[in-house]
Amino acid sequence: MESNAKLTNGLSRELEDTRRQLYEALETIEALRTGQVDAIVVQNGSTHELYTLKTADHAYRVFIEKMTEGALTLSQEGIILFANSQFSEMTGLPLSAIIGLPFELFITKSDLSFYQQLFANSWKGYCKGEVEIVYQERRTPVQLSLTALELADGISLSVIITDLTLQKATQRKLQENNRQLEHLNKTLEASNHDLQQFASVASHDLQEPLRKIQMFSNFLKNNAGNLNMEQMAHLEKIIGSADRMKSLIIDILNYSRLSADDGEFSPTDLNIILKELLDDFELMIADKKAKVLYDNLPVLEVIRGQIRQVFQNLISNSLKFSKEDEPPIIKIKASYLASKSFTSPEKTAGPFCLLTIEDNGIGFEDKYAGIVFSLFQRLHSKDSFEGTGIGLAITKKIIEKHHGLIQVKSIVGKGTTFMIVLPLKQQLNGNTG
Amino acid sequence: MVTPDKIRKKILLAEDDPDDRGFFFQFLNNRADLVLLPPVENGEEVFEYLAKAHNGTFPDLIILDQNMPKCNGLQTLTILKNNIQYKKIPVFMYSTYTDDYLVKKSMQLGARSVLEKPFSPEGYHKMINEMLELI
Repeated sequence: MESNAKLTNGLSRELEDTRRQLYEALETIEALRTGQVDAIVVQNGSTHELYTLKTADHAYRVFIEKMTEGALTLSQEGIILFANSQFSEMTGLPLSAIIGLPFELFITKSDLSFYQQLFANSWKGYCKGEVEIVYQERRTPVQLSLTALELADGISLSVIITDLTLQKATQRKLQENNRQLEHLNKTLEASNHDLQQFASVASHDLQEPLRKIQMFSNFLKNNAGNLNMEQMAHLEKIIGSADRMKSLIIDILNYSRLSADDGEFSPTDLNIILKELLDDFELMIADKKAKVLYDNLPVLEVIRGQIRQVFQNLISNSLKFSKEDEPPIIKIKASYLASKSFTSPEKTAGPFCLLTIEDNGIGFEDKYAGIVFSLFQRLHSKDSFEGTGIGLAITKKIIEKHHGLIQVKSIVGKGTTFMIVLPLKQQLNGNTG
Repeated sequence: MVTPDKIRKKILLAEDDPDDRGFFFQFLNNRADLVLLPPVENGEEVFEYLAKAHNGTFPDLIILDQNMPKCNGLQTLTILKNNIQYKKIPVFMYSTYTDDYLVKKSMQLGARSVLEKPFSPEGYHKMINEMLELI
């Protein structure tokens, strides 16, 4: 009995020992497999033996598991020897089911011959190409990068699979946007063309009958011997209306021609433009006893004729909307700004310039400040101040064409100030048109 | 006192609009320094007129409306200035609206000047005086 018990005890101990060794071995293998250790050294008699898994390079194993691309190793027959979990996610199949399958199985039919060619070429050297990976309902556009690797027991192929879903979507979006842009461009071209057509109609076909009205009514007026006072007044109204229509047509023409005008940007001394304008306005300035005070103005890269028109419109507005009992004073100032904004800090030599044109005229309610730049917008009846309501619309369009900003501030009875921000050089906007 | 015909300037007007022809004659016919030739209605008629005229009886100046049917102002001007017989006759263009293109092209082709159609009787006298100064 006693010897039986001894035997049982000894066997149990031996079993326990073997089990412990087995656990240790399993743990070691697990540690090697998961990359916790790279290798183990075992003392075997007088020699040391190094044990490691063939592909168990820790850094690379972690790297391959953590990277966002799918990774495969293929045999020379195209069988999947290894796959990372990203590839498993792409296909929706568990890793255990993937290993051992031919990779071709996951290539969409229409891309198959391309893939086969790629596969064949890859053994000669690195190559890549785009295919669609498909498994059941899951379709993923990918880029394959294939590199042949020489390992101890033969050549295999390493495949990196980059998911292009997002990239393709972005590309599609970009193409769609481009198409829309093209369409918009065509519409814009068409409406520009319409504007040109209109300008041409306005220039001849509208002016022709208008001129007749002017001619015949002037003719009637010059032979008005038997017209009574009332008839004469009516005739004057016809003449006045025709004159107004003439200036409307000319202003609309000028406005529409701004789009077509491809005048060139060139460095222009605003002082010279201003002096020319003051000569033009000489009579009106003398008549109104007006004073025009101005800073030394900058040299800007502008379309000369257009900026001249801006100054002309603003100065003529200031002279027109002056108070009856107070001679107009117009102050024109210039300063340099750091950025394209009315609130920008000043900065010597730019790259932007702020021009202000300030008057002491009748002003207007500030609530109108936003709408005075609209086409045909007038704040006064035609009887009190003549005008077509196009001048400031033209002014704004010109400033926009020069990649600038314009705004106005006004106080009734005090005066109006126009502020314009313009770049010193047009290249700043990467655009000279 | 009427100026002898020899120094009265003979003017040929090419104009398709009857009102405009009317204005022209109404305001300018009584001037002693002008002879208004029977007006023609387009470029083709200018050439018909000139073909019948002899070298010594060519007009002293031709006024061409730009917008005419069949052969417009610029087309007529081109042919006139390429004809060895006619190219010395001073030609003036006139139109309701003189845009940059019309002015540039006309001057290139050899017109003396491009003028806007007047809209008053005084305007007509001013226009013709300006033309007479330039020939």
